[in-house]
Amino acid sequence: MKYCFFCLAILLQSCIEQDKTIKIKGSDTEVNLAVELAESFHVMNPIVFVSISGGGSGLGIASLLNNTADIANSSRSINEEEITLFQQKGIQIDSFIFAQDAIAIVVAKDLPIDSISTNDLAAVLSGKYSTWKSLANKDLPVNIYGRQSNSGTHDFVKDKLSIEFSRNAKEMNGNAQILEAIRADHSGIGYVGAGYVSHGGSKALKILPVYTQENKDAVSPLDAQKIAAGKYFFQRPLFQYYKTSSYIKIKPFLDYEKGQAGQSIIHSAGYYPLRKL
Amino acid sequence: MNASKREAIDRLLKMVFRATGLVTIGLLGGIFFMLLFNSIAFFAKGNPIDFFTGSQWNPGSDAGNYSILPLLASTGFVALGSMMIAVPLGIFTATFLSELAPDTLRTILKPVIEMLAAIPSVAIGFLGIVLVGPAIARVFGIQNGLNALNGSILLAIMALPTIITISEDAISAVPKTYKEASLALGANKWATLFQVTLPAALPGLIAAVMLGLGRALGETMTVLMATGNAAALPKGFLDSIRTITATIAIEMGEVPYQTTHYFALFAIAVVLFIITLLINLLGEFFANRLRKFHA
Amino acid sequence: MKARLIIFLNWFVLLGSTLLVCAVLGIILVDIFSKGMSSVTWEFISQPPAKGMTQGGILPAIIGTLWLTLITTLFAVPFGVACAIYLNEYAFPSILTNVIRASIRNLAGVPSIIYGLFGLALFVQAFRLGTSVLSAGLTLGLLSLPYIITTTEEALKRIPNSMREATLALGATQFETIKDVVLPSALPGILTGVILTLSRAAGETAPILFTGVAFYINGLTSSVNQEFMALPYHIYMLSTQHQSIEQVRPLAYGTSVVLIAMVFLLNLTAFYIRFKNRTQQ
Repeated sequence: MKYCFFCLAILLQSCIEQDKTIKIKGSDTEVNLAVELAESFHVMNPIVFVSISGGGSGLGIASLLNNTADIANSSRSINEEEITLFQQKGIQIDSFIFAQDAIAIVVAKDLPIDSISTNDLAAVLSGKYSTWKSLANKDLPVNIYGRQSNSGTHDFVKDKLSIEFSRNAKEMNGNAQILEAIRADHSGIGYVGAGYVSHGGSKALKILPVYTQENKDAVSPLDAQKIAAGKYFFQRPLFQYYKTSSYIKIKPFLDYEKGQAGQSIIHSAGYYPLRKL
Repeated sequence: MNASKREAIDRLLKMVFRATGLVTIGLLGGIFFMLLFNSIAFFAKGNPIDFFTGSQWNPGSDAGNYSILPLLASTGFVALGSMMIAVPLGIFTATFLSELAPDTLRTILKPVIEMLAAIPSVAIGFLGIVLVGPAIARVFGIQNGLNALNGSILLAIMALPTIITISEDAISAVPKTYKEASLALGANKWATLFQVTLPAALPGLIAAVMLGLGRALGETMTVLMATGNAAALPKGFLDSIRTITATIAIEMGEVPYQTTHYFALFAIAVVLFIITLLINLLGEFFANRLRKFHA
Repeated sequence: MKARLIIFLNWFVLLGSTLLVCAVLGIILVDIFSKGMSSVTWEFISQPPAKGMTQGGILPAIIGTLWLTLITTLFAVPFGVACAIYLNEYAFPSILTNVIRASIRNLAGVPSIIYGLFGLALFVQAFRLGTSVLSAGLTLGLLSLPYIITTTEEALKRIPNSMREATLALGATQFETIKDVVLPSALPGILTGVILTLSRAAGETAPILFTGVAFYINGLTSSVNQEFMALPYHIYMLSTQHQSIEQVRPLAYGTSVVLIAMVFLLNLTAFYIRFKNRTQQ
């Protein structure tokens, strides 16, 4: 009997408590930033809970579609297929760009190469070069460390270079695992969000500046001015997608992000905020 | 309380128990139908022949390659590797425990093995990253220890308790008369052990291996964390692999519901389900044979 | 001489294997505890994470795991025990009950990730519970059901039929027999099974991956339709997904210590009940 009451109590409670939790999902690139934002947001707004899950950008958008998230973090804009899915389900969405991110191309410190062209990078990542012979004059095998196919970073690099990744590319669970792997691998190469290498994360690693066929001036992903001018090859806006219908609920959080406090957290996390600080 | 009221309560509760029992069984049965239903949806949309014969699992590509082959090969590969470690180790340990160890030692060691079984898989996967991975990288002089060998070692650790416990039961269940007959005929202790006791326990040992294998095939977290997750066909134990379970874990949270990719994940889950089911049934078949044999 | 060598080899192989198995457990525990104990302080278990989870504690994860275990218990124990009572006390032994038993045994061998898929399809989608601690708890409950049913049935089987017959002969109804005679004597066995099952469920990660676990939540889970953090997922996340893996490694070790300690505590309770029950008989 007690048991029945208890169950009933739980059920009742779950009905009464209309969720006041803002669920943010997706994008391994943005997840750590989101955690820091949520932590300081909670100090100012203790009643509003924020729960955050990582995974890929696909996860966020899929969760939005599946109605299991309020905000989808995404490091890529949504694609045609997803737009049709949203239309089919009759869900209206809006987006908000809250920062700029750059992808860093990372190799081990002792690999004798100082910058890389987009063409060479495409050849390396698609598996055309199996050794570093032609680029770094070393007979070491190229070991590629990348993200899984559902990662926004993965898609971004793939589309930007218009290649298919080599099938021998190791698919790591997160940016941090890529860095750790390359740190241990003399002949490894990988791509991570610049936020992961800006604050001491680049220990024992080398970040390769990238140049293009048209512009031979190699740009580093850590160069804030060039990023602001949109000069880096692998730079992208970080999106937050949300359902138009849940705007009221998430507004406090969005406002916080846009505000001075939020933007300074974004800056100190190694991303490039939208407004000048 | 009068008798009729008590009988009414009795009848009512009988119904309640039956209803809960049947609901429970229905729920558990629902698992199979849910898998089947969703994977039929995949085969209706996708290409069943490609699913079994293609060579690429690459749902992100434009064509959408859904072939289970690399995943299945990876799963089998890493599980087989784990059995190569766990089977001899497990059976030898079980033999020692049931035939040679003094009673006091046995009462200490059995909880040790149960403790090993109790360690959560995610903790073992964690050790795969921080302990086994670097060790493998050092021993083989390779850059990264997240590969099939790492997965096999961890899965062996996870399958060991199952194999040891069931093998030990099987060996202890061999009737004493067998051993006595053998010893009476002049065979020594070792000959009796290896030529009488262990062969008599063989069906039980096979059952133990089968159940251990089932455990290894279905394990998710350890392989997800420790094998590198590259969805190519494995060529050696130092290659990264990606099992069926890891693929589901990585991709399931990230697909929109009711899409081809979503159904494809159910389809590979069905294959995994059927494989583990067959292996468990085989294990049960051998366990029953042992029981009949000694009855 | 040769015979001796063989005997020596035999001992070497058999004893060696056993020692190796013990050593594996030893290495696991020594590594985790030696590197993790220093992180486990009162602050660690009583504070939420801070500074992008590089500092602070794991309180939300502990609370989340407790929530999860509670819901699992509330769902799986009554249903599992009722199902076992139905199978063992009420149902007539027939081919059907044998098939049901065999299916339940085999369901115990189904990979846990498949339960996760089922939980996603059933609780999150069909029942519209969303990704929440309720969905995840129910999923773990399903996973636990086959174990609870089998162990409970084993405990019920151990009660001799003569006891049931005696009470029935005294005029008790079947329900009264079960309630007053069978269940009390089978209780230690049932309890051991239940606790062992729960300790297994508390350490599971795969089934909760898609049913509600979160990377971070800036408060304590306080209602069943919220998302939650859980200890096993926290370990997974800290060791593979976090931004600065090396910096948070002590935290990952510390979380492992807490999780393993929790699981062992449950196991020891079960062993104790079993041991006490055995010595009493």
